[in-house]
Amino acid sequence: MLKTFLLACSLCVMCVGGVNAAETEREPFDDRYCTTCHGADGRGNEGVHAPRLAGMEPWYLRRQLENFRADMRGVHPQDIEGIAMRPMATKLSDESIDDIIEWVGSWEYVPAEATIEGGDPARGRGLYGGCAVCHGDSAQGNESLGAPALAGQNDWYLVTQLKNFLAGYRGAHPGDTYGAQMRTMVTTLRNEAGVLNVVSYINTLSR
Amino acid sequence: MSKQVTRREFLNLLSAAGGTAAALKAGSALGLLPHTAQAASMDLLAANAASRKVAILGAGISGLTVAYELSKVGYECTILESSYRPGGRIFTVRHGDLIDEIGNRHYCEFDDEPHMYFNAGAARIPSTHRNLLAYCKELNIDLEIFINENKTSYVQDPALLGGKPIRNIDYTTHSRGFLAELLAKSLDAGEMDQPFTDQEAETLMGMVRSFGSLDEDNLYKGSFRAGYAAGGFLEHGVQKDIIAFRDLLQTQMGRQLLSANEGDTGPILLQAAGGMDKITEGFTKHVGHQIRYRSMVNSVEVKEDGVDISYDQDGSRHLLQADFCFNCIPSHLMTGITNNFPIQYVDALKYIRRGNAYKAAFQAKERFWEKDDIYGGISWMNNPSNQIWYPSSGIHKEKGILLAAYDFGDGSFHTSMTHEERIEAHLSDGEKIHPNYRNQVEKPITVAWHRMNHMLGCSARWQRDRSGWTHEEEELYHALQQPVNGRHYMIGDQVSMHSAWQESAVMSAQWAMTDMDRRLRA
Repeated sequence: MLKTFLLACSLCVMCVGGVNAAETEREPFDDRYCTTCHGADGRGNEGVHAPRLAGMEPWYLRRQLENFRADMRGVHPQDIEGIAMRPMATKLSDESIDDIIEWVGSWEYVPAEATIEGGDPARGRGLYGGCAVCHGDSAQGNESLGAPALAGQNDWYLVTQLKNFLAGYRGAHPGDTYGAQMRTMVTTLRNEAGVLNVVSYINTLSR
Repeated sequence: MSKQVTRREFLNLLSAAGGTAAALKAGSALGLLPHTAQAASMDLLAANAASRKVAILGAGISGLTVAYELSKVGYECTILESSYRPGGRIFTVRHGDLIDEIGNRHYCEFDDEPHMYFNAGAARIPSTHRNLLAYCKELNIDLEIFINENKTSYVQDPALLGGKPIRNIDYTTHSRGFLAELLAKSLDAGEMDQPFTDQEAETLMGMVRSFGSLDEDNLYKGSFRAGYAAGGFLEHGVQKDIIAFRDLLQTQMGRQLLSANEGDTGPILLQAAGGMDKITEGFTKHVGHQIRYRSMVNSVEVKEDGVDISYDQDGSRHLLQADFCFNCIPSHLMTGITNNFPIQYVDALKYIRRGNAYKAAFQAKERFWEKDDIYGGISWMNNPSNQIWYPSSGIHKEKGILLAAYDFGDGSFHTSMTHEERIEAHLSDGEKIHPNYRNQVEKPITVAWHRMNHMLGCSARWQRDRSGWTHEEEELYHALQQPVNGRHYMIGDQVSMHSAWQESAVMSAQWAMTDMDRRLRA
């Protein structure tokens, strides 16, 4: 009784994904599970260190999902957040990725609140010059260079990722060409203080 | 080791014990310690017609408790549940059930029989958890004994006797024997100048001898307590060989084995017959119609006179307006849901760490453990799979479900593996105890709570440091327990100082309802 009811409910929200047609009595599932971690409307959840997806460019989202799926990201043992993400993407089909991108695109972009402390935006502004070449003066991103928007992203996420690039936890896979570029560029930030400064500056920008 | 127990140490021990006893009496007189009180009975004011709408976020046992109690007194409850099923971390897995672990979704293929189930979450009810037990009684939930410690189960550690599994009873009997012999020698040495009265000394020595099954010379020479190597019924029993104390000391597992029947697992343990989710069913028989499944909360806005909740269901957004809201969404997920909570509340939500317990189970093709004198209970292994649980139910049936691994501390070891790697790990660990294990089990399921959809964690962890709660932690805890505007309550075992137990979830719900009731009466 309950199962029939649930099945009826879930058919309404079903999209592409792992539903096995031969097992119609079994609880169906789909691959629209992103918001469990990434928060309501994909606005990010600091509680599980999952960044905001709302407003993320579709081409960047696709590349990252494909990188995770291909074990090119989230494999270094020190990349704690990446390791958490990778298995979520491992079993995604191309169709599921298409569907997720469409779904994410339906969420309203709302810039994240600033949370980090200890950075110096003035110093960060100087450091950001190198970043601006690809990511844009307003950190609005540049698709032709494969550089995503940074403005409006959760600052704690940017800090983690920049530190990961610096330490070689991200971008070290030979297939991750954009990651390799980032690893080179991020050396201009030198250390954690540089990371905090530049992210503090990015916090002052808006798309 | 050669140091003898001094007279001063004896005296300290005696005075310390005296001090404790005095404190206990005083505490009891002031009502600080529990007597044999009955479960708290909710005596709630009937709902006021003008403010009787209640939103409950999450159909875990705390949410169900609120729905059940408030419905009794006329509230109009709506439960939003993000997943397809009620119960939260009360999760009994049977034939055909979905294990909705993100990245590892799979269906349970156990045989479709009533005793072939696995409690992947809550599994034990101590007899002292009287609030939960009161609901079990009220809701006519059939309970049975859960066998926790079983002396015929095994202990296995690569460091102990070359990894050869030994029976729990061998480990504990011999360990106690040797410990008692040491203690008896210490007491003998202190005899000339000892601070006990003759009567006390005799009592103490009697306890020590009995504790360790010592002979008349206060030596441990083995004991029939460990069972017989042969005979014992129609012929004289033959005593088992002793395992040398030094060999026993090669494993650290005594820390668990010698305290298995203490603390939370000290009382008699119970389980719901047929699966722990029978408790959930007991509640949903009454309030199941109030649950809206696959409803994900998008925002919670606490207002002066109520709470607005927006949520997504069936691909569209809905608004639920309530006079009161009881929220058992896990703290680490609530931080990702838009809200207007006060800052200290949010700080508390962010402070709590999520547990990452891990469990796995196999279907056994035959109940091979019963042929090995094991009926229920737990075997302990010093490897990541940690434990094997033998089912307390279905005795003498053809097949059964074994818990193949339970990591309640840090489940990340198995969590980070693929499903196939996990299974191989458990087979490889388990066959160290049961040599033919690999061929005797099938149809595995694995459950990493850290990745379960709509959960992403097991029980809440408030304490950063095992040594105890800090002042800051207590302040955050009490901040989170208090309502926002008298309208919104966080509940669940996460809002308790003893998470991971159904009782804590029930009590947090009762606390919140009592607080609401008190405010309404004021």
